[in-house]
Amino acid sequence: MTPIERSEPGRGTHASTQVQPMFHRVLSARPITVRDTLQDIRRRFHREVSDDTLGRLELVLAEVMNNVAEHAPEAAAGPEGDARLPVIHLCIVRHANGLACALTDDGVSLPEECVLPRSLPALVMDDLPEGGFGWFLIQDLTQALCYYRESQRNYLAFSIPFAQTEEA
Amino acid sequence: MQFIVEDVETHLAIKVTEPRIDAAIATPFKDKLREIVLKSRKPVHLDMASVDFMDSSGLGAMIAVRKSLPKNLGMVLCALTPNVERVFRLTRMDSVFDIRPLTAQKELRE
Repeated sequence: MTPIERSEPGRGTHASTQVQPMFHRVLSARPITVRDTLQDIRRRFHREVSDDTLGRLELVLAEVMNNVAEHAPEAAAGPEGDARLPVIHLCIVRHANGLACALTDDGVSLPEECVLPRSLPALVMDDLPEGGFGWFLIQDLTQALCYYRESQRNYLAFSIPFAQTEEA
Repeated sequence: MQFIVEDVETHLAIKVTEPRIDAAIATPFKDKLREIVLKSRKPVHLDMASVDFMDSSGLGAMIAVRKSLPKNLGMVLCALTPNVERVFRLTRMDSVFDIRPLTAQKELRE
């Protein structure tokens, strides 16, 4: 945590309006489009944000957006189904302590257990789990994760903290 | 889907050339790799140095391939990049796979 310095009101205002890199994109929930978007995000932030933080951001966003794609309504699966794929709105802003992310989509409602605290799937050596890791990773790597659904859209917001050496 | 496969005496050395093992390719990746490892009856060493990114669907593909190997044959993962290593570590799958750094020989080549 970086302590907030007490300073003259004028200076405080100046600091909070400092220009920070951000990223905004509207995309179809399709794995290949998600992949392109993640690579664009990396290019957008690579000068200001460490590889470690970018790696955590990329993993969380891949899990969230591919979940939307994976759970798209059945009707969207046809060859000409693009128009009915869920549409994701993504916004990332760099803050003093990390990257604040907000996503909305018009896919299916998120089951409550996704955002409730969860642990890893049971590790049974003879029958290893092949899935169920996504939401564990999202919860493990994010801070202030919150979710709500309104007017047929999911809203998800969270923050990816910087590594301790990186705080600006 | 490209894999560079080399049958050395003690094991099958496979270099993964895909830079990303993600939801876009997890299923064909799994099918193709499983086909390769099942053909030979040898332990498998996967060179992961070229893989910059892997998500949970990529991890699921790796687990599925490992599960398809007979119990007496091991699966060694070599040269994980930091982003890939993170996924194995956070999901505790680093205790299931045999994870090793690059061999000295390969380091010289780099």
